[in-house]
Amino acid sequence: MSKRKKIRLQMLGRKLIAFINPTSMISEQYRTVRTNIKFAMPDLDVKTILFTSASPGEGKSTTAANVGIVFAQEGKKVLLIDSDMRKPSMHYTFQTTNSPGLSNILSKQWSVADVIQKTFIEGLDIIPCGQIPSNPAELLGSSMLDSLINAMKVKYDVIIIDAPPVLTVADAQILANKCDGTILVVSTKKTKKESIIRAIEVLHSSKAKILGTVLNNYKIKSDGNYYHYYRSFELD
Amino acid sequence: MEETLNLSELFKFLKKRIPLMLGIIALCVSISGYVSYTYLTPIYEASTQILISKQKEERNTFDSQDIQLNLQLINTYNVVITSRAILSRVIEKLELNMTPSDLQSSMRVSNQQNSQVVNIYVQDPNLQQAVNIANTTVEVFQEDIKRLMAVDNVQILSPAIFEENTKPIKPDPIFNMAVAGIVGVMLGAGISFLLEYFDTTVKSEKEMNDLFDVNVLGIISVISDKEVKKNNKKVKPISRRSRGGGYV
Repeated sequence: MSKRKKIRLQMLGRKLIAFINPTSMISEQYRTVRTNIKFAMPDLDVKTILFTSASPGEGKSTTAANVGIVFAQEGKKVLLIDSDMRKPSMHYTFQTTNSPGLSNILSKQWSVADVIQKTFIEGLDIIPCGQIPSNPAELLGSSMLDSLINAMKVKYDVIIIDAPPVLTVADAQILANKCDGTILVVSTKKTKKESIIRAIEVLHSSKAKILGTVLNNYKIKSDGNYYHYYRSFELD
Repeated sequence: MEETLNLSELFKFLKKRIPLMLGIIALCVSISGYVSYTYLTPIYEASTQILISKQKEERNTFDSQDIQLNLQLINTYNVVITSRAILSRVIEKLELNMTPSDLQSSMRVSNQQNSQVVNIYVQDPNLQQAVNIANTTVEVFQEDIKRLMAVDNVQILSPAIFEENTKPIKPDPIFNMAVAGIVGVMLGAGISFLLEYFDTTVKSEKEMNDLFDVNVLGIISVISDKEVKKNNKKVKPISRRSRGGGYV
C-alpha cells in the first residue's frame, strides 16, 4: 500500500467505515441494511435505490456510500450517483473531482462514459454531482435522467442515488418517482416525528416505493457485549 | 398516533432521566442548605413556666371548684400575658427597640389541657434577650395581675435560663433540606415530563415501528473515536480480506 493511499485512508476513516474496517459493528449494521433491502423487495430485483432524509444533515450521504460499499463487497457492480445539486459531498468522500458529473450529463455536455469515475473500492463506481446548475429540479426531471438510469441498469447491478432532503427541495420527489425504491434516513434524537410523517406523505404523493427507513446515529447503551459478539463472529 | 403510557414505560423513562433528576434534587438541597446556613439568622427560643394556683389562706384544702375556676382563668391569662398592656411595660423595662406587636408575634403561650401550668415561649435572634424577655414578661404579668384581676395566684414555676450551646430552633437546615429534596423530586419529575413532551424527535426503533407504517431496515450506530482508532491499525489485513469477498 503506497504512502499516499495510506494517508487517504486515514482521512476517510470516519465516513467510509464499511471499507476501512469491515469487521466493525457498524459495517455489520450496514450489511444488515443491505440484507433488509433485498428482503424488502423479494419479487422485484431492486436496481435503483434512492437515499434521502427529511431534513439536511441526517446522514444520507454516509449511509448511501457505506451501503454502496457493502453491496460492492458482496461482489455486485455498484454505481453511486450524487444527485444533491445543492450541496454535493460525494467527491469529498471518495476523494475525486466533482466535475464533470451528473449535471454535465443531464445538460448533454459530457457523455456518460467520460463522467463515471472508478473508486479505490473494487466494483464501486461513482458519478459525482458536477457543476452546480441553476435549475437542478428541471435537470433531474428531464428525460435524460431516465435514459441515463436505463443505460446504467444494464451495466450495473445496483444504482444508489444520494438525493437532497425531501422536505427542503423538490428534487428528491422527482428522483424518488424514477427509482425502484426509496430509503428514508432518520437521525436518532434529531429527526422530528412530524418531519418523518411529512416526508413519507411527500414521497407517497410522488408515487415513490418506500423500502423503509434507516435509523442513523443510534447510540447503543452497553455497546461492549454487542460489539464483542460481532467481532468474534467476524474473525472466526 | 396513540399515546399510551404503561407503568414499565414510565419507569424506563424516569430511569433515563435519573441524572437530571438527581441533579435537580442536589441543586435544591444545596441551595436550601446554603441559604439556611449562611443567610438566615438563627432564632433562639427561651421558655418559662408559670403555675396558676390560688393561694388559700382561709382554707387549707382545694376543692374541685377552685381548680375549675383556675382553669377558666388560664384562658384569660393567656390573652393577658401577650396583651399590649403587659408587653409595653416589658419593652419599657428592657429598653427594647421594638413595638408591642413585634414582641407579640415572637411570643407564644400555651398550656396543656386541664393543666394549671402555662408555658411562655419567646423567640429572638439573641438567646440572652429571649431569656430576658421571657423572665421580664412573667414578672410584669405577676405584678400586674394583682392589680388587674385582684387575685394573686401566679407563681413562677421555672424561669427561663441562659444556657450555652443552646441550638437555635430556626432555621432547621436538615428540615429545610429535606423539604427541598422532596420539592426537587417533584420538580425533577415535572421537568422530565416536560422535556419528554416537548421532545418530538425519534428515539428508538420501537418508536419508528409504532408510529410509522414503514419498515426499519437497519440501525446504524454513531461512529465512535474508539472505532476509528481501531481501524487505522487494522486497515491492511482486513481491507484485503474483505475485498476478496469474504463477507458475502
